[in-house]
Amino acid sequence: MTREEVIVEFKNHLIQYLNLLDTTPEQINNEEPLFGGDLGLDSIDSVELIVLLDREYGIKIKNPTEGRQILVDVNTIVDYIIANRTK
Amino acid sequence: MFLKDAFAISPQKTFNSTFEEGDFVVHESKTFKVIDADYAEFIPPSLLRRMGKAVKMGIGAALPLMKRNAKTDGIIIGTANGGLENCINFLNQIVDYNEGMLTPTHFVQSTPNALAGQLALMYDNPGYNVTHVNGSLSFENALVDAELFFSEQENPSSLIVGAVEEISDYNYNIDLQAGRYKKEQLSNQDLLNSSTDGSVCGEGASMFIVASSPEDAYAEICAVEQLTYPSEHELSERIASLLAKNELNVEDVDALVLGKSGDGRYDGWYDHVTQLFPNAEFTYYKNFVGEYRTSSAFGLYLASELVRNKLVNHPELMGNISKQPKTVLLYNQFDGVRHGLILLKRLV
Repeated sequence: MTREEVIVEFKNHLIQYLNLLDTTPEQINNEEPLFGGDLGLDSIDSVELIVLLDREYGIKIKNPTEGRQILVDVNTIVDYIIANRTK
Repeated sequence: MFLKDAFAISPQKTFNSTFEEGDFVVHESKTFKVIDADYAEFIPPSLLRRMGKAVKMGIGAALPLMKRNAKTDGIIIGTANGGLENCINFLNQIVDYNEGMLTPTHFVQSTPNALAGQLALMYDNPGYNVTHVNGSLSFENALVDAELFFSEQENPSSLIVGAVEEISDYNYNIDLQAGRYKKEQLSNQDLLNSSTDGSVCGEGASMFIVASSPEDAYAEICAVEQLTYPSEHELSERIASLLAKNELNVEDVDALVLGKSGDGRYDGWYDHVTQLFPNAEFTYYKNFVGEYRTSSAFGLYLASELVRNKLVNHPELMGNISKQPKTVLLYNQFDGVRHGLILLKRLV
């Protein structure tokens, strides 16, 4: 899978897991902060994201400090997925 | 306890004025599903995307009341099953992911008190906040709790009291197997003429502003009574005692709102109550909303609208009621086991 394909796949998962009504993958900016930005995600969403990474990519984030560095925007998450995915 | 306002989200278009103007929605299916308001108009997208159906319906019914009334001292909700679909999704996840990591949203939305909690958060209401989960008497329990709450207050106070129930495919199938719903498909226009076993599954949310003082109120909820496993004689005795406590005679009750559901096994209860009030006019409501465990809340909504004289253009809902009633008795039962009575008296 190319990086672009992973980005599209991840955005689709993001929309599905967080039930982002009326949002398309194209509307999610890769550099836009997921928390505090236009998407308006909150702490419950961060747990949903951790579950998403576990279920879809086999990535377990157990360290909160590490999580804060990964769950920044689409780019940081996709980079982490490419480097650490087990499925 | 006094009634100041009422609103409902139901399988009829109760969320706008077309309902009062006589709009009657015909359902021809095995379930009567709610006609949703445009929740996105008044619920922020960040909240809406997480809400389950029951929470959306409940908020859709409560928000109009919160906007047009002063802040209340608390919120009391009655629901038999709460956010059932989310509950089933959450339980299925436990199995599907082998008791691994689970997402929080389904769990948060599945708890019966999710609605009361969400309402308190949205309208910054830190007061009394209780959800009663007691099967088909959940709404009656909520009303009794409101009465008790007011009895403990020194100053005039008010509450939002309501009930919500959603149809979940999973639970519908369980209740269908248990014989609660008809195997055949019926139009709601024909439901009450049916005498086969079971009714048709419905859903909805009905909300009320109740207060301890009559100021700005249009009706008084004079009594709320519950019975479990009564005989017809015991039911008659309880009704007689309810009337006596309120210094009323049988002739004083001029309208009955009855939960007749087209279930041939139990509709005799409604005929029995009708016979106790030979001079009263009556109407039914489950042909509009179907059968569900807190449907008596819609019955109270209907009684409330009758008392406010808002249904004169709606012949289907008026039943054989020909004039604005003064005293209304609402009677509902579920499975012939749990019976609820609510007495409503017009103030103005």
